[in-house]
Amino acid sequence: MNDGPLIVQSDKTLLLEVDHERAADCRKAIAPFAELERSPEHVHTYRLTPLGLWNARAAGHDAEQVVDTLLDYSRYAVPHSLLVDVAETMARYGRLRLEKHPVHGLVLVSTDRPVLEEVLRAKKIKGMLGERIDDDTVAVHGSERGNLKQALLKLGWPAEDFAGYVDGEAHAISLDNSDWELRSYQREAAESFWHGGSGVVVLPCGAGKTLVGAAAMAHAQATTLILVTNTVSARQWKDELVRRTTLTEDEIGEYSGSVKEIRPVTIATYQVLTTRRGGVYKHLELLDARDWGLIVYDEVHLLPAPIFRMTADLQARRRIGLTATLVREDGREGDVFSLIGPKRYDAPWKDIESQGWIAPADCVEVRVTLPTDERLVYATAEPEERYRLASCTHQKLQVVRDLVAAHPGQPTLVIGQYIEQLDELAAALDAPVIKGETPVKERQRLFDAFRSGEIGLLVVSKVANFSIDLPSAEVAIQVSGSFGSRQEEAQRLGRLLRPKSEGKTAHFYTVVSRDTVDAEFAQNRQRFLAEQGYAYRIVDAEDLPA
Amino acid sequence: MAEGFRSLADQLRSWPDERLSLLLTERPDLASPAPHDSGQLASRAATRASLQRALDQLSRLELTVLDAVVVSGHTSPEVLTTRVKAEPSVVAAALERLVSMALVWESSAGLRPLTGVAEALVGGPEAGVSGLRPCSSPEPTRREVEARLAELSAPARAMLDHVEAHGGEATTGGRHTVLPADAATPAEELLSRRLLTPRGSGTVVVPGEVGIALRGGHTTREPADDVPALATTERGEDRVDGVAAGTAFETVRRLELLLDHWGAQPPSALRSGGLGVRDLRASAAWLQVDEPTLALLVETAQAAGLLSTAADEAGDPAWLPTDLLDSWVLRSPAERWVGLIRAWLGSPRMPGLVGGRDPAGKVWNALSPDLSGVHMVETRAMTLAALAGLTPGECLASGTGLPSVVTLLRWQRPRRPRTRAEQVAWTLTEAAALGVTGLDGLASYARLLLDGDDERATKALAALLPEPVDHVLLQADLTAVAPGPLESQLARRLQVVAEVESRGAATTYRFTPASVRRALDTGWTAVELHDFLGEVSRTPVPQPLSYLVDDTARTFGSVRVGAAEAFLRADDEAALTELLHHPKAGSLGLRRLAPTVLISTVPLDVLLPRLRELGAAPVVEAADGTVHVVRPDQRRARTPREHRGRAAETRRVLATASVVTAIRSGDRAASSRPAGTGALSPSGSLAALREAAETGTPVLIAYVDNHGTRTERIVDPVSVEGGVLTAHDHRSDDVRTFAVHRITTVGPAGGPVGGGP
Repeated sequence: MNDGPLIVQSDKTLLLEVDHERAADCRKAIAPFAELERSPEHVHTYRLTPLGLWNARAAGHDAEQVVDTLLDYSRYAVPHSLLVDVAETMARYGRLRLEKHPVHGLVLVSTDRPVLEEVLRAKKIKGMLGERIDDDTVAVHGSERGNLKQALLKLGWPAEDFAGYVDGEAHAISLDNSDWELRSYQREAAESFWHGGSGVVVLPCGAGKTLVGAAAMAHAQATTLILVTNTVSARQWKDELVRRTTLTEDEIGEYSGSVKEIRPVTIATYQVLTTRRGGVYKHLELLDARDWGLIVYDEVHLLPAPIFRMTADLQARRRIGLTATLVREDGREGDVFSLIGPKRYDAPWKDIESQGWIAPADCVEVRVTLPTDERLVYATAEPEERYRLASCTHQKLQVVRDLVAAHPGQPTLVIGQYIEQLDELAAALDAPVIKGETPVKERQRLFDAFRSGEIGLLVVSKVANFSIDLPSAEVAIQVSGSFGSRQEEAQRLGRLLRPKSEGKTAHFYTVVSRDTVDAEFAQNRQRFLAEQGYAYRIVDAEDLPA
Repeated sequence: MAEGFRSLADQLRSWPDERLSLLLTERPDLASPAPHDSGQLASRAATRASLQRALDQLSRLELTVLDAVVVSGHTSPEVLTTRVKAEPSVVAAALERLVSMALVWESSAGLRPLTGVAEALVGGPEAGVSGLRPCSSPEPTRREVEARLAELSAPARAMLDHVEAHGGEATTGGRHTVLPADAATPAEELLSRRLLTPRGSGTVVVPGEVGIALRGGHTTREPADDVPALATTERGEDRVDGVAAGTAFETVRRLELLLDHWGAQPPSALRSGGLGVRDLRASAAWLQVDEPTLALLVETAQAAGLLSTAADEAGDPAWLPTDLLDSWVLRSPAERWVGLIRAWLGSPRMPGLVGGRDPAGKVWNALSPDLSGVHMVETRAMTLAALAGLTPGECLASGTGLPSVVTLLRWQRPRRPRTRAEQVAWTLTEAAALGVTGLDGLASYARLLLDGDDERATKALAALLPEPVDHVLLQADLTAVAPGPLESQLARRLQVVAEVESRGAATTYRFTPASVRRALDTGWTAVELHDFLGEVSRTPVPQPLSYLVDDTARTFGSVRVGAAEAFLRADDEAALTELLHHPKAGSLGLRRLAPTVLISTVPLDVLLPRLRELGAAPVVEAADGTVHVVRPDQRRARTPREHRGRAAETRRVLATASVVTAIRSGDRAASSRPAGTGALSPSGSLAALREAAETGTPVLIAYVDNHGTRTERIVDPVSVEGGVLTAHDHRSDDVRTFAVHRITTVGPAGGPVGGGP
C-alpha cells in the first residue's frame, strides 16, 4: 500500500495529513485544482469542485495530471467514480471556445458538436447568438461576450475565451524599485495573471495585494481603472502607487463621491459606480471615459451585483481581481469565474505567514456570563433583538477594559457592530471612535495617528473592515460582528496580520456572551479561525488575569 | 474414425461416459427430461430448437468450420482443414468441439453435419455462413474444376464471377443440357462444364466445389481465425488495483450503510415488486451516489440474498435487509466483497435498464422482477473473460475500448441478439462501479475471483484495503479525523460522541454540543469523555474541545440515585417546584427530597407517560445507572431459500451424471430386445425416422391417410421437423410430407414391418 499523505474521500474531499514528510509536495501538487476548505493543525481538508477543476484546466492542467496526482499521493485506493467525475468535469471546460473571426467578429466554436447543439437549444442562450456559420461555429453578438460566458457556466459548459483583449491607450508605468523589491510570491502572482490574460489573484490580507496590482499595471503599460471598496482605500491605493511606481500624483485620479477626476490611472469606488439617480447609473460613462488597458478589481469577493453586469460589457479589456478569499457570502463565485476570470494565483495563508510576511495570531474567545436581570430581558426579547442584546451587554465593557490593560503599550483596536456600544466603549476607554458618520478627513487623521503611534487605542465600527492598512495594530478586541460572517472574520483578522516588527504575535480577542445567540455565532467564527489554522482558545471572563 | 458410424446414435453409443457428460453439459437442454436411450438423445439433438441453442454458442470460426462441413457434404477432416481459411490446428480444435456437441458426426463416408444444421445455418459472413451451395456428388477434384475454369472464355468467366459474387444463383432461359463443344452463350459454356448446375424452373446455381475454387480453395475469402483484438492502453497494474480496490471498499461500505438505513427505515415495495422511483432517488441522495449506482447496489444486495421483501409494521410489503446481513457485517470487507461479486456474476439482472422505459413506455424500476435478461450472465462472463485475456495492467482504451469488446463478443457469438452491445456496456460500467475493474482494466484480485479461487481473491483484495487504525487526530476546529477505517469498537464509540461529517477510507467526525450531550445522555461522564479523547487521540486534545465537553457537562447535570417507586431529579429547582405544584400532579405522589430531587409513589411505567403529559421530558435511568436510550429497532427479513448454501452447482453435476446413467441403461434395454421386432413407441418412431434421415437409409413405414386407409410404403426420410416427416416416397417417386402422428410403424426396408403400438 502507498504511504501517501493524502486520503481521497468519496464525497470529493481530500484530507491532507500535514505532518507527513511528503505533505509539502502534495500540497503544491493539489493546490492548482483543489480548494482548501479548512486548514486546522493536523489534517487539512481540500475539496474538488467544478470551479476548482475548471480553474486548473484554465491554468493548463489536464484531467490525467489531476488523476495521477491523486493516485500518487493517495494513501488508500481512490474510488473509481471520483476519478471518472474529475475527468468528466474537466472535459467540460474548453469544449466551447470564444474566438475572433475575421468576418463575423466574435464567434462561439465547438470541438464537440453535440455540446454546441445542446447549448444552442438552451433558452437563455438563444438571444445572445447570431447566425450559425457552419456546423461547429456560431456567431455571437459582440455585446454578449460576458453574458454568454456567465450563461454557459451555469449550463455546465464553461467557455474558454480566446477572443483576446484590446491593448488600450498606452501609458508608461513601471515599478520604482529604488528601496524595495517585489516579494517572490507577488512577482509570481503578477506573472501568472499576465500569462493567463484575465483572472483573480488570491492573497491573504497584508500580503501586499496592492503591489500585485501595481506589478500588473507595469506589465500592461496602459491606462488603468482601479475599482476599490471605499474612499479611504482609494487614497491608500493612490499613496501606495505614488510611492512604489513611477507614476506621479498628477497621473492618478480619484473618482469618488466627492472628487471626480479622470486621469491615466483612475481609482473609483464601487459605491460611486453603483449610484443611481432616477433608475440610471450616473457614472457609467467612466467605464468608457478612456480606452482602459487594464481594470483592477480590489476585494473581488465584495464586488456588488451591478458591477458584475457592467463587467459583462468589459470583456475585451484585461481584468485582474484581487482578493483574500474567493468565498462570497452570496455564493456568486461562478460569476467571478466567468466574468473576471479563473483563479490565477493562490497561496495558503499559513505558508505566507511562515515565510514571515504576515504576523502569526493568537485567537482567544472570552465568554462573559450575562447577569440575571439581563438574562431575563434576553429571554423575553424578540428573536431579532436578541443578538443585539446579547452582544451589547455591559459585562463586555469590563472585559474589554481588562484586555486593554493586559496589553499596555501595544496598539489596540476595538471593533464592533453597534454604534451605541462603540460610543459607550469609547467613553469608558477614553479613546477616539471611527464610525460610518465620521468624515473621511477625520478618519484619515485618526488612522494616520494610529499608524504613527500617536494614538494607542482606537474604537472602530465595520467601516474599518476593508482595505485600510493599519500595520501597527497588535491587538484586536471584537465585541460584536455581523452574525458570524466568515468573510468579516477574515477581514478583521487581516487588520492584525500585517508584518510586525520583531516578529511579534498578534492577539485577536472576541468577547461573547455565554448561552446566547452571540455564543452560537461565535462558534461559526471559531470554526472559521480554527479551520484557517489559528490557535484558538476559549476562556471564561472570570479566568482572565485582571 | 477410420470406419465411421452408421448414425449419430451409433456414435453416441460408442462414446465413453465422460464424453457424453460433456455433451450434456454443453447442451444442457438435451438432458431434461432425461432421454430414454442414445437414439432419443440423437433425435433430440437434431430438433430445431435444440440446434438453434447449440449454434448460438458457437464462435464465428466454429460456424465457418460447420459451414464448410455442410458445403462439403461427406468429407474427411483432412480435406476440411484445407478448405477453411485458418490455421489447421485451430480448425481441428473447432471441429473437435463440433463433434463433441453432436453437430457433426463421423459417418462411414466421412464427416457429416447433423440433419437440420444446413437449414439452421443462416446469416451472412459475419455469422460464419459462406453462402456456398453444397458440392456436387460425386465431387470433381480441385484440379478438374480448375481445368474447366481455365477453358472459359472471358465473358463466361465474368458471368461466373458475377453470379458467385451475387448469391451464387441465377436464372437462364437457354438450354440446360449442352456439350461443351455446342455451347453458344456464356451461360451454356458454364452449364456444359458443370460450373453452373440447373436447379429446375430456369434456375442455375454455382456448385460448392466451383465456389471454393473461385475463392482460392477456401470456403471464405477472409481468414476465419482472425480474432478481433481489443483496443487497449497500458495503465500499470498498481494503478488499476489501486482504483479498483478503492471502489471495492466503497461498495462494501456503502452497501452496509444503505442496508443499515433501510433496516431502520425500510422503503416500501411496489405492488409489481420493484422499488419506487422516489425511494430510489431519496436513497441515492442519502447515500450520496447517483441513481444508477444505487440501483446496482440494491440489485447486487438482492442477488447476494442481503435484501428481500417482508411486511413492515403496517403490514405492507417493504424492502428489508435479511437476517444474513447480521453475519455479513461481521466478516472482513474483502470477504464481503467477494461474496457480493459472486452473486453479481451469477445474476441475470440488468440494473442498467433502471430509469429507462420499456417499449410500452413504463419506467423500469429497480428490483422489479422483469429486470432479468437471459443472456446477461453469459455476456457478463464473456466480457470479463475478454478483460481477463489482457495482461495485468492493460486497460481498455477510453472511447474505442468498449466497441472493440463488442466486436470481439460478436465474433465469439455471432448469432446472439443485437442487444449485446448494451449489455457489454452495462457490464463494464457495473464492473467499474463495483471495483471489479479499475481504469477499465481487470483488477488482480478479480482475476483470481474469475478463476474461481475465492480464497486467494479475498487475500489479494484484503492486502489492498486500508488497515484498521486505532487512533484519531483531534483538531481545534472540533473535528476528529480517523486516517483510515477505525476498529469497529472504537468507531461505534466515536459515533456516539461525535457526528460523522465525511466518510470514505478515512472518516471525519465533528464534535458539537449536541453530540457531546448525546454521549452524556448515554451515560458517559465528562471525566470519561476527557479520558476517552485523551486515549484515542494521537495529538494533544485541543483546548476548545475540552472546553466544549466541560461546558456541555456543566449544563447537563450530575448523577443521583433514588430509592422510591421512582425518583425525579433535575438541577432546575423551579422545574421541580413547578411539577410539584402542578394541579394535575396530585395523583403522582410527588415529594421533595432535596431542593433538586423529588420522589414519587407511582411506578415508573405510570409515572413516565403522566410526566410527559405534563410537558416534562424525562429520561429513564436503569438499575445500573445507565440511561435508557430509545433507538429505532433494526428490522430483518428472512433470507430467501436459494441463498442458503451453494448447492446448485453440485446438484447440476449430479443431475448430468444421473442422465448419463439413464441413457446407458436405455441403450442396454434396446440392445437386449430381439432385433427386428421394432415395437416402437411414438418417440421411438421419431428417433428411427431421424436416424434414417441422417444415414440416408430407406425405411418401411405404415401410414394412415386422411381417408383412414392404411398403406405401407418405402421412403427415404429427408427431415423430421414440427411433427412432419419429409421423405422421398418410392411408390410415387416424389418428395412427400407425412404427418408423423399418422405413421403407425417404422421398420427397416426389406424387413417385415414391426407391429404398431
